[in-house]
Amino acid sequence: MNGIIEYCQNVRDTVRSIFEGMTITFSHFVRKPSTVQYPDRIAQQVQETLPLRYRGILEVDMDICTGCLACERVCPINCIAIGIEMNAETKQRDFTLFDIDICKCMYCGLCMEACPTGSIRHTQEFEGACNNPAGLVRHFITEKVPLYKPKKGGETEPRMIQKVDIGKTYMDEIAEPEN
Amino acid sequence: MSEDAAGTGLHTEDMTLNVGPQHPSTHGVLRFVVKTDGEVINEAIPDVGYLHRSIEKIGEKCTWHGYVPYTDRADYLAAMFANQGFCMAAERLGDVEVPPRGEYCRVIACELNRVASHLIAVGTFGQDIGAITPFLHALRERESINDLMEEICGARLTYNYLRIGGVGYDIKPETCARITAFLDHFEPIVDEYNRLLSYNKIFIERLANVAVISKEDALQYNLVGPNLRASGVQWDIRRDIPYSVYPELDFEVPVGRGERGTLGDSYDRYYVRIRELMESCKILRQCLDKMPDGPAVAKVARKFKPPAGETYVRIEAPRGDMGYYVVSDGSEYPYRVRIRTGSFTAMSIIDKISPGIMVADLIALIASLDVDAPEIDR
Amino acid sequence: MDFTVQDLIATLLPGAVPAALGYALAAVAVAFAVLSFFVAPLAGVTSWLERRVWARMQSRVGPNRVGPQGILQWLADGVKNIQKEDIIPASADRKLFLLAPYVVFSGFLGAFVVIPFGSWLIPADLNIGILYLLAITSLVVVGILMAGWSSNNKWSLLGGMRSAAQIVSYEIPAGVAVLTVIFLSGTLSMQGIIKAQGWAPWDWFIFYNPFTLVAFFLFFTAALAEGNRTPFDIPEAESELVAGYVTEYSGMRFLFFFFAEWGNLYVIGAIAATLFLGGWQIPATIFGVTMAEHPLLKGVLEFAVFFVKAYFWAFVAMWVRGTLPRVRVDQLMAMCWKYMVPMSFICLFGTIVLLVIWPEGNTALTMATLAVSCLIVLYFMWRVVYQIMHSRPTLYLKPYV
Repeated sequence: MNGIIEYCQNVRDTVRSIFEGMTITFSHFVRKPSTVQYPDRIAQQVQETLPLRYRGILEVDMDICTGCLACERVCPINCIAIGIEMNAETKQRDFTLFDIDICKCMYCGLCMEACPTGSIRHTQEFEGACNNPAGLVRHFITEKVPLYKPKKGGETEPRMIQKVDIGKTYMDEIAEPEN
Repeated sequence: MSEDAAGTGLHTEDMTLNVGPQHPSTHGVLRFVVKTDGEVINEAIPDVGYLHRSIEKIGEKCTWHGYVPYTDRADYLAAMFANQGFCMAAERLGDVEVPPRGEYCRVIACELNRVASHLIAVGTFGQDIGAITPFLHALRERESINDLMEEICGARLTYNYLRIGGVGYDIKPETCARITAFLDHFEPIVDEYNRLLSYNKIFIERLANVAVISKEDALQYNLVGPNLRASGVQWDIRRDIPYSVYPELDFEVPVGRGERGTLGDSYDRYYVRIRELMESCKILRQCLDKMPDGPAVAKVARKFKPPAGETYVRIEAPRGDMGYYVVSDGSEYPYRVRIRTGSFTAMSIIDKISPGIMVADLIALIASLDVDAPEIDR
Repeated sequence: MDFTVQDLIATLLPGAVPAALGYALAAVAVAFAVLSFFVAPLAGVTSWLERRVWARMQSRVGPNRVGPQGILQWLADGVKNIQKEDIIPASADRKLFLLAPYVVFSGFLGAFVVIPFGSWLIPADLNIGILYLLAITSLVVVGILMAGWSSNNKWSLLGGMRSAAQIVSYEIPAGVAVLTVIFLSGTLSMQGIIKAQGWAPWDWFIFYNPFTLVAFFLFFTAALAEGNRTPFDIPEAESELVAGYVTEYSGMRFLFFFFAEWGNLYVIGAIAATLFLGGWQIPATIFGVTMAEHPLLKGVLEFAVFFVKAYFWAFVAMWVRGTLPRVRVDQLMAMCWKYMVPMSFICLFGTIVLLVIWPEGNTALTMATLAVSCLIVLYFMWRVVYQIMHSRPTLYLKPYV
């Protein structure tokens, strides 16, 4: 007798649970698909929708880079290469090299936390594919430029004020003021 | 040559099957050498090591801060926990106190990550059993968590959010609101997921009474986390060796009840994870309510040099007890780092449980143990 | 206006040509026409539709780039597959390996010989139509077993063995469920079975009595199993057997297996529509237009009615596939022998008993069955609304994306 009851229960459970599952899948016909049709059929570029904290491909604003080498030292994977040499004419130190190998970079964000001026930043850019891995090394120095020296009492040149502000905003957003 | 089970005296030859390293349901690069008699398995020997990236050795070559992003890669489905284990070990060695807000941020991030990891576990479980729709529903919800993570720490998978002494970035109030909104949306979805997959008769039949791991076996083979709890053992590091702010939080530890079959069967291992999803939601809501103000990270020297010593830290990761054994010689680099993971021990029991089950059940067993290839090999 | 293709050939045939040659030519022409203009696009569009249906169930979009809403995706897939290298494993049994896809394909294509698309639109109205259909579709298992054996791959072998066990077992409940209908109609001819029903739902065999209602679902389940569809797709169980019996196939040969599988969906639906759902039956007069006076309109309407009925069940098969997990091979057998075979015999004997009591049928019983079915559909609708209300998703009512 128990066998018959169990038999009927099995049939009932099977039919009922399949019925229930099918109502759920059917109800998805009127639900909005959650995927987007990247890259061409989207209302807004993905880069624009990403939060400010997003850790995309690194960029460096050479105008506010002090050449402190903090990022190079902190990088666990040595993907940042910085070269600095003394310019005999101007008696100033110049950048000769600032390369970031984004092929090696693991987007950990330690460099931008170490940066005192917020010049090295993660952008919202993530589309880095190219045919040659050599193209993935970003060169930020094309000609020798002097190191940035913060002026005592703040910047005066409007262009520089803007750049310093961008760096500060970025640092406020991601880094801890205490650290 | 083995005699067939029916006892007809006919001799049949064992067939050796190679499940993996490339196989749809080995969840990464795993290999099983399976000896079968038709569909019934006589022996299944796990072969690990295909995904060894010497993460432990790298630890000796990196600075203390610089090693945190590497720990992400130990278990990419639950990177936050790997971060936490190492950071806690370093904090214990260096005697660093984490500010309360930092601890809450950590727990929020970790529990979100646990939800994401368990969603993968239950989703791929459905996929291994042949139901692809629940898998995609689970991934859809995980995608929302990835978006939240992106807002919290800027990355979707390898977070590198935790720092020695706290967290990298504070969680903003608007992010907290988004997490609450996500939880409100997510809890009914778990119910729906249950109605679609967990309570499906075919699914239950596939899992109930399959690959039963007894309490004794689970303890002897050193299973941890949900796999251990599914066998009826009340053990959760969060509760029993409390760390972080877990003592302040009210949560239950789901334990297998053998509700659809035997205690410790595949269905229990599956359903414990579903119930943990709901518990994590509960923890998240409490954390969001209780979050104190203040700094999220303690002041830690850039050149962190903990005094010489050693420590072993245990945390409750989605795949169970994750242990970090870290030795410091007082220098800028850790002297030794060793990671103990739940998946590795879970692999060893497959050899014991598999004789007598079918090939399809082996897939269910692997899925139910929720092994994760990078975590096995590190 | 009741004529068949045979009559058509007889009228068109010039006197000088031997009748046998004419029939042979006609047979080739019909086969060619059915294959190129109906079966191939149908299987292709079914593959596209399945992907779209599946995608929507999974909160995705699905293929929507090739042609309007991606409806020509199957052409792109076909071209791609033809371009691929046809790999034959060195250790394979070459002859069997090459032959297997065609055996599977002919097993499926042969079914179209007796499928009645309209009152006169049927390639051949055999007097043993349904028996022929059950026989010819069994040829598929021979092909699958050939593929599984000849690939010389352990996954393929397991897949082939599973398939053989599965299809042979499920022939029985399917056959018994069909027998229920044969008792009601008293004929094996496909057209005869349709003519024994009417256009209205209460004239269909599915609602004839409660037993036939159950028999229909038994038949449909068994047909899914014979078509290797989820939840019975264990021969190609992706997560267990990599790809089962098609593991070693590539390119066009691979395509042939799936061509047959998608085409089979329509065959399943067509058989279900013929046996239980009144086939192509339409009312004699619609809006005052007597159908007998407009043969072309009648033909088109009949075709449309049949197509919709058949395709609805193809859709249900896709929908089931998007919902259910896969059963294990021993459970599959248990389900067949412990549940479906006894139940199908109960349905058969129940129908026979009712047939003895009311040889002409019982209107009250039919109406009650119909009413219960309507209630089930209403309950279904309510559950769908409940699911939406419960999880509060963003609604998107457009059928396209």
